[in-house]
Amino acid sequence: MAKERILKGIAVSKGICQGEVFIYETKEARIMQTPIPPRYLEKEVERFTRALEKTEKELSNIKERINVEIGVDFAQFLDAQILMLKDREMFDTVSERIKAEKTNAEYIYHSVLDEYAKKLSTSRDQYFRERVADIWDVGTRVLRNLVGLTHSSVVDVPQGSVLVAHDISPSDAALINPANVLGIAIEVGGRTSHTAITARALEIPAVVGVENLVAKLKNGERVILDGNRGILIKSPTPGRIQFYRGEIKKEIEYQKMLSPFCELPAKTRDGRQVDISANIEFFVEYTHAKRSGAMGIGLFRTEFLYLTRRGNPSEEEQFRVYNELAKKMKPDPVIIRTYDLGGDKIFSDYHEANPFLGWRAIRVSLDEFDFFKIQLRAILRASVNRNIRIMYPMISTYEEISKANAYFKQVTDELHKEKIEFDDHIQVGIMVETPSAAIMSNQLASHVDFFSIGSNDLTQYVLAVDRGNERVSHLFDHFHPAVLRLIKQVIDAGHRAHIWVGLCGELAADPLAIPLLVGLGIDELSMSPVAIPKAKMVLRALTVPECEKIAEKALNFRCASEVQKFLNRMIARRFPGIGGIK
Amino acid sequence: MIREEIIIMNENGLHALPASRFVKKAEKFKSDITITKDDVEVSGKSIMGILTLACEKGSKVILTTDGKDEKVANEVLKKILEGQD
Repeated sequence: MAKERILKGIAVSKGICQGEVFIYETKEARIMQTPIPPRYLEKEVERFTRALEKTEKELSNIKERINVEIGVDFAQFLDAQILMLKDREMFDTVSERIKAEKTNAEYIYHSVLDEYAKKLSTSRDQYFRERVADIWDVGTRVLRNLVGLTHSSVVDVPQGSVLVAHDISPSDAALINPANVLGIAIEVGGRTSHTAITARALEIPAVVGVENLVAKLKNGERVILDGNRGILIKSPTPGRIQFYRGEIKKEIEYQKMLSPFCELPAKTRDGRQVDISANIEFFVEYTHAKRSGAMGIGLFRTEFLYLTRRGNPSEEEQFRVYNELAKKMKPDPVIIRTYDLGGDKIFSDYHEANPFLGWRAIRVSLDEFDFFKIQLRAILRASVNRNIRIMYPMISTYEEISKANAYFKQVTDELHKEKIEFDDHIQVGIMVETPSAAIMSNQLASHVDFFSIGSNDLTQYVLAVDRGNERVSHLFDHFHPAVLRLIKQVIDAGHRAHIWVGLCGELAADPLAIPLLVGLGIDELSMSPVAIPKAKMVLRALTVPECEKIAEKALNFRCASEVQKFLNRMIARRFPGIGGIK
Repeated sequence: MIREEIIIMNENGLHALPASRFVKKAEKFKSDITITKDDVEVSGKSIMGILTLACEKGSKVILTTDGKDEKVANEVLKKILEGQD
């Protein structure tokens, strides 16, 4: 029997599956130069025309099957590819050269494309340089058809497959059918790669960045993909299979045990309601949010709009996404967080030494008003649905709020002038995730409609720990009393100013933290949809007085481990198996 | 024949989507249509040609329309280049 091998990668989408390998390969056509006798030249041009027609059919087919909800702009982007394919000038050049040089179509077409590509690749602008990939995307399809190569398509993946590839192009990723694909493993990519984002949106386990993956696997062999640990197991031992069967079974049973809680109200035993909402980064995830009983979207990350496309998204494109989401969630609220990435993600020639302390999030938006305005307009236009709220990330000082509010006013004035309807009473809030914003929260509260505490960044900044750095990541602990005291300060400041205070970091989904946060008076907890049923279960077993006692005590420990030990003693034993799935 | 100098005002320049819109519209006119940038002239009915010009936001181009419907063509196509369509 073959020896078990564990292939390591980066875990980007949770879950475990066992399935048969389906290797997705795009074959390259080999281009040879062949002379064509004069009497066959017309036929050669005709052959080229047929290859173009066949390719056009393929592209239209993809366009129809594309998952528009994920694709956002891919349908349009395919339009551009079809135009490239049908470009008259290109066709004329190719057919003239076939006749003049008495040479085969694939050779001439390849060389004509190469000329276009060369011209583009000398462009100063990165966007245009990147279009070279589009030219070859179309070109390769045509060449494959000329040479008569068939190729496997993501659409054809059989049921029960683990999709394995070197890389999956964005247009192919949008075609993945979650009914057939159990898991995805690819050789390239990181957490924000298109494949990773698609997998999370479809709730398919995925591992990326697995070196030499394709060469190590055969079509049809059975493997285990563990998206929690970021590994793919080839030829698993019987023991391993048994272990994972147990894991999968536990996961299913646990979900079954929790599922009744989806429907139940999020209230403590003595009747205090705490809104439990969902963090999502993809439009399609609204279905997961609804299914798990979310009372709204507490955080809609808009980063994918910028990461999964070419160039920045237009007002129209953003509006479409925000508007659809608002409609689907009505009347429940949807909080849209404005741009929360580093400046390097949109301005390609920008780099910095210390990105976490650098030019990111609201700082970028406030410096680049033209860029910010597009997003504000799109959000405001979608606010006609009356359930949208705006949230600014990484606010660290009062001036930023006042500047953002001034810009906001400018945009609403413009909309008024243009007679475009929007919600006049839209709530505008901030993320509290920098120590300065938390400390000054009593001064900031009267200028906003809500606070949402971003516990991940707050912890990182308060404790001065980069959790991505293995040497210091053990120091990262959101139960540190320093963090908890700041959270209390923010909640108290918010309530004194009569605004609501939520929390949208990982702390919100930690069952040990829920009694603590309820005790501190939190109004809303926003978490990934998977975590919602468990949070409701914990919440419904608590009473406010006991939570208050727990909170008071927790704030007075010396360090995070003492808090954890205490919470474990108070909470964990009441809910056996609670640490089961995070 | 109408020749007009135009500054590209599209947010990301004349990128694939506005370029496709331009070509789709241009194809409907009988007039010959060209775009010239830095002395390089391409057909306005060829997306490949237009993309190779790599017109960033703010770049100057000359739009030429020549034929029976040159006036309408100029008006319609100008709007796309100026990002008003």
